[in-house]
Amino acid sequence: MSQEKTIIEVGDGAAIPSKKDRGLFSAWRISFFGAIIILIYLVVFKPNPYLRIVKFLPDGIIVTFQVTFFSIGLALMIGLITGLGRISRNKIANAIASTYIEVIRGIPLLVQLFYIYYALGRFVRVPDMVAAVIAMSVCYGAYMGEVFRAGIESIDKGQTEAARSLGFNRTQTMFYVILPQAWRTILPPVGNEFIALLKDTSLVSILAVADLLRRGREFAAESFAYFETYTIIALIYLLITLLLSKFVSIMEDRLNYYGKQ
Amino acid sequence: MANNEPIIRIENVTKRFGHLKAVDDVSLTIRTGEKVVIIGPSGSGKSTLLRTINRLEEITSGRIVVDGMDIMDRTTDINKVRMEVGMVFQNFNLFPHKTALQNLSMAPIKLKKISREEAESNALRLLKKVNIGEKAGAYPAQLSGGQQQRVAIARALAMNPKIMLFDEPTSALDPEMIGEVLDVMKNLALEGMTMVVVTHEMGFAREVADRVIFMDHGAVVEQGTPEHFFKNPTHERTKLFLSQIL
Repeated sequence: MSQEKTIIEVGDGAAIPSKKDRGLFSAWRISFFGAIIILIYLVVFKPNPYLRIVKFLPDGIIVTFQVTFFSIGLALMIGLITGLGRISRNKIANAIASTYIEVIRGIPLLVQLFYIYYALGRFVRVPDMVAAVIAMSVCYGAYMGEVFRAGIESIDKGQTEAARSLGFNRTQTMFYVILPQAWRTILPPVGNEFIALLKDTSLVSILAVADLLRRGREFAAESFAYFETYTIIALIYLLITLLLSKFVSIMEDRLNYYGKQ
Repeated sequence: MANNEPIIRIENVTKRFGHLKAVDDVSLTIRTGEKVVIIGPSGSGKSTLLRTINRLEEITSGRIVVDGMDIMDRTTDINKVRMEVGMVFQNFNLFPHKTALQNLSMAPIKLKKISREEAESNALRLLKKVNIGEKAGAYPAQLSGGQQQRVAIARALAMNPKIMLFDEPTSALDPEMIGEVLDVMKNLALEGMTMVVVTHEMGFAREVADRVIFMDHGAVVEQGTPEHFFKNPTHERTKLFLSQIL
């Protein structure tokens, strides 16, 4: 009598297309090409205001990408350190990493953004963009930490034993043997976090960072074309996240090279 | 065949897991070039004893000296000891993200700082020696169990060790692949390598061992030459074990 617990997993990023889901009428294709067709239609047939909106936004898209890429890079580093801390035999490192994760997970991202932004502002004067990146990566680093920990722990103990018995020390074993393999397990959830992070960067528009959403709000406030502006904003976010999820699924395939018979 | 210098000295070694004494006050001396086969029922502590030799298991009490280095001494660099002691596992434990060749060349490049060309030509030579040269570019998942284990043996040899430890190297293999692995081990024995082998392959023990050690409940019950051991075992427990497996 085996009872299996059913686990329902709902990713917080965009859905990464699975292998089965690559037909002509896959959800990904319908969404992606649908969004492109609607975008082109609006810009070509109703250039006023849609073309004006589209021309106004590129600066914001660049800022959104900048915040995303710097944050993901920093979050990966924080995540790796936190993940290593979580599996460390050093009790202090372990306690610090665990507490960090616990605290961060218990506070809404928007509140963290405000908090870090104003807390930083009390001590140093940093550009809004830097404050935003720090806040995003401190938050996402905690989630990445758990991803790294799980990825590292998924590697068979025999791998560590084999490496150690060849003469590799702990650090060398981690970087030459464990992490390169863990990366394969880590990538899908990291990809998900990546996409979730990109969407969450829209929150930094509140901190006077001129990202995509903020540029949209500025345009809307001047032109009163709220509906039209947010239509375009939504379409652009959708296209970006769909492209990213495609990229992540291609990367997953690449990393599978050594599992094939 | 073996000369008289001891290369491994195990003195009153005990290893506990909680309340369980996996190894109970074992003392053994293994000489350079000697081939020692350890047999015994499962749970007898033979694998644990083997794993204490390169400190994959830390001993609870006692002393182990490998090639003049006390492995529990704080001043001993255990990684240095391990470079001299090759280990082969039941489950191969090849690095799945590396090709067969890279599995062999990685440790010499990173740890002995020899050039990639030298490490790779040495790796290829060893792969040919274990009759698997044509699979140098294959990933472990593309190899059979027997092939993987031969690569694993070659990987350990690539560090040019003085001692080779084998932890049930054929137990995870399909029967038709056991022979090819044992042949590699026999050749290694002929070359004079010091070998400590935990195995259930009695034919191998008979043919290759200088000394057979029988363990039960964490202790060495009986030891001797294969001839003595298989023909005139003195202990009741040894007789019982041999009658069950032969």
